[in-house]
Amino acid sequence: MASSRPLWELRSVVKTFPGVRALDDVSLALGAGETHALIGENGSGKTTLAKVLSGVHQPDAGEVIHAGERVTLRDPHEAQSRGVATFHQEFSLVPDLSVAENIYLGRLPLRWGVVDWEAARRGAVKALARLDVEIDPDRQVALLSVAEQQFVEIAKAISREMTLLILDEPTAALGPAEINRLHEVIRLLVRQGTAILYISHRLDEVFAIAENVTVVKDGKLVGTRARRDLSVREAVRMMIGSDLEEHFERSETARERPRLEVRDLRTENRVNGVSFSVSEGEVLGLGGIAGAGRTEIARALFGVDPSVAGEVLVDGRPCSLTSPSNAIRAGIALVPENRKADGLFFNFEGPANMTIAALEAIRVGPLLSLTRERRRARLLMQDLAIDRRAEKRSVRFLSGGNQQKVMLARWLFTPTRVLILDEPTQGIDVAAKHEVYRVINELAAKGIAIVLISSDFPELLAISDRIAIVRRGRIVHFAGHGELTEQALVELAAGGEASEEAA
Amino acid sequence: MKERFADALRSQVIGPFLIMLTVAAGVAISTDRFLLSQNLKNVALQASIVAIVAIGATIVILTAQIDLSSGSLVALTTVLLADLVKNADVSVAVAAVLMILMGAGLGFVNGFFSSYGRIPSFIFTLGTLAIFRGLAFLDTGGTPIFSVSPQLDPIFYGELLGLPLPFVYVVVLYTLAWAYLTYTPRGRQIYAVGGNESAARLSGINVNRVRTEAFVIAGALAAVGGVLLTARLDSGSPNYGQGMELMAIASAVIGGASLFGGQGNVFATLFGAFTIVIVQNGLNLHAVASAWQNITLGTIIALAVGVDMWRGDLARFVRRLWSGRRPGTEAEPVVPDTPGEDRVHSRT
Repeated sequence: MASSRPLWELRSVVKTFPGVRALDDVSLALGAGETHALIGENGSGKTTLAKVLSGVHQPDAGEVIHAGERVTLRDPHEAQSRGVATFHQEFSLVPDLSVAENIYLGRLPLRWGVVDWEAARRGAVKALARLDVEIDPDRQVALLSVAEQQFVEIAKAISREMTLLILDEPTAALGPAEINRLHEVIRLLVRQGTAILYISHRLDEVFAIAENVTVVKDGKLVGTRARRDLSVREAVRMMIGSDLEEHFERSETARERPRLEVRDLRTENRVNGVSFSVSEGEVLGLGGIAGAGRTEIARALFGVDPSVAGEVLVDGRPCSLTSPSNAIRAGIALVPENRKADGLFFNFEGPANMTIAALEAIRVGPLLSLTRERRRARLLMQDLAIDRRAEKRSVRFLSGGNQQKVMLARWLFTPTRVLILDEPTQGIDVAAKHEVYRVINELAAKGIAIVLISSDFPELLAISDRIAIVRRGRIVHFAGHGELTEQALVELAAGGEASEEAA
Repeated sequence: MKERFADALRSQVIGPFLIMLTVAAGVAISTDRFLLSQNLKNVALQASIVAIVAIGATIVILTAQIDLSSGSLVALTTVLLADLVKNADVSVAVAAVLMILMGAGLGFVNGFFSSYGRIPSFIFTLGTLAIFRGLAFLDTGGTPIFSVSPQLDPIFYGELLGLPLPFVYVVVLYTLAWAYLTYTPRGRQIYAVGGNESAARLSGINVNRVRTEAFVIAGALAAVGGVLLTARLDSGSPNYGQGMELMAIASAVIGGASLFGGQGNVFATLFGAFTIVIVQNGLNLHAVASAWQNITLGTIIALAVGVDMWRGDLARFVRRLWSGRRPGTEAEPVVPDTPGEDRVHSRT
């Protein structure tokens, strides 16, 4: 609370996306020289809030106030000109250009109509000096370490006369030493009067650096507290709500008999010798950072990427996974990560989307029985509580949760023994998430072996019977239900090698 | 089944049917010769051949591919059929069956190279468009074959139970195609491949195979069109069937088939084919020079494709006009809260 009047303020901001209320009546105030942490689970609205402040999204309702004056940020450019700088999860640097060029990208200083390289270099050095780092302004960005690239990114923001710096999960790709270094820089900037909005789901970092903490959950504001009045435990309870366990309750359904056995599976696409087995009714979670090779393991098991070595057995029978149709015949099913691009048929209504992988199931002689299709689809829609309108209209118009349930229904039409779910709850609202969890539970209870890929670590920890940590296309660690904390999972996933990997 | 049929008619066929009626009314007003029974019969006979070729065009378009070679395949069929019957003394029935098999085979070539061979079908069939017609010229040295055989005449001008045969062919083939697309697993897969190729693959569908089969069907139907044209004119010529591929594609597109694939109905294509032939007939009745006929036909095709491509924008535009008086009601059609809104945006 460096000044009495906040520098930036959001008042009762609402932002809705198709099917999801991303922000619902959220307010937040940021003073100059204040480090404000914004925490919450994946999908709780943190990033949306940051994007409202940086002009990417325009709120449907509510006010954005800058230095006491109501403003409209029509685009990121307008936010920038008011001193908002964003530091993204993904770098916005151009790897082929030099440090100075990147810092002044799109606004290189001119002299006599040509670029004044000397001024650009001087400016770059000055901006980097404010961060207390020394990087040669002529070096190519691609040759820098991840941490150095981050400093360039921040220097870029500083050189634009920034008064508010938004950092969205800035440490996802950093090792512990680099995180400390970044925090030093942040403290330096705060002393210089910059306001910091620090978005993270790593509580230890938040507690190390923030002055105030705001918690959001499901797009709603849970509360803002001074850090010194808040315990980690309390923060977790605010983030996840009290009823988490109840909803995530996994019934013990795992039995002894292995359903799926994978031995030394390798592909040319990032799967480097993966072995594991999943029993009947077991949920095996695959944890790892983005790019670790989890999706690629799923693709190999489903016959999309050809395997170059290894063996896959379903119920003890070896199967040749050379195409998805072979995999489906062997009883393997995949709900892909991107359901719009790889899963749904927008030219079909709900029932046709559900039966497309199992047309034999509705065949009478050589012909399809549309009556049977409709009848069976209707039953499934009741079972999975799918929006009734899905029956007679394109699935394009369904909410994300209903679309995902249509995808699940597709594999209930086939005799599925092994179900692979790639990020099944991404981009769907909380109620639909719980529906998906319920379906996963039910399927497991029927004896289906489930391989769950999720970047939502609390979710992964809660529903998996066992977790396999994937790093660089291999499984590096197995842990049983309850053996891992989220913190441990994050550390294992990143493995201290994250910085190398991203570089 | 009855319900399904009625649904299909309501949603997809009514529009093209009304377009056809409007065009017919326009032509009828402009000249009283249009409604003469002799002229109407002529229109129907001419439309039947285009309509049959257009079934194939529709099926290929449903898989999000295109077949530009059908007009040339029609020409090649007329020439070879005439040649076989007149010069090699093959019976008409055997020769006709051979032609249809050849059409299927050449369709396979189109399909194989544009799916397994990964050559875009637009380019590959542009190649076979030139090749097939070239082969037709090669066979006859460029001269048409006239007065092929009196046995050909009943194939086209015959009657079954008092109905003209072309009418019977059209009804039978369209019904079969509709049943194939609606009631067989393969038909469903054709729509799936066109709707979302990646999702189709991940649903276990052999995408290349489905596409190849679509081209095989299109080739066979183009050959059927060629056989009928030979019978109708009792001759074969490498110059027949010029632009037939465009008329077939335009029939499908006027009938509401999307060139992006996955959307379309064969019965709607039938009305599309009639629409085009009626326009052509009207221009003939007014003795419009063939240069202008070409320009008109080209414009119609370009516009029909344009309407398909701009469909989203047009719908948005119409919706905006519609809700102009009620600001705030122009919601994105993604998750409507009132069930009553369903019908408005449904396109399938």
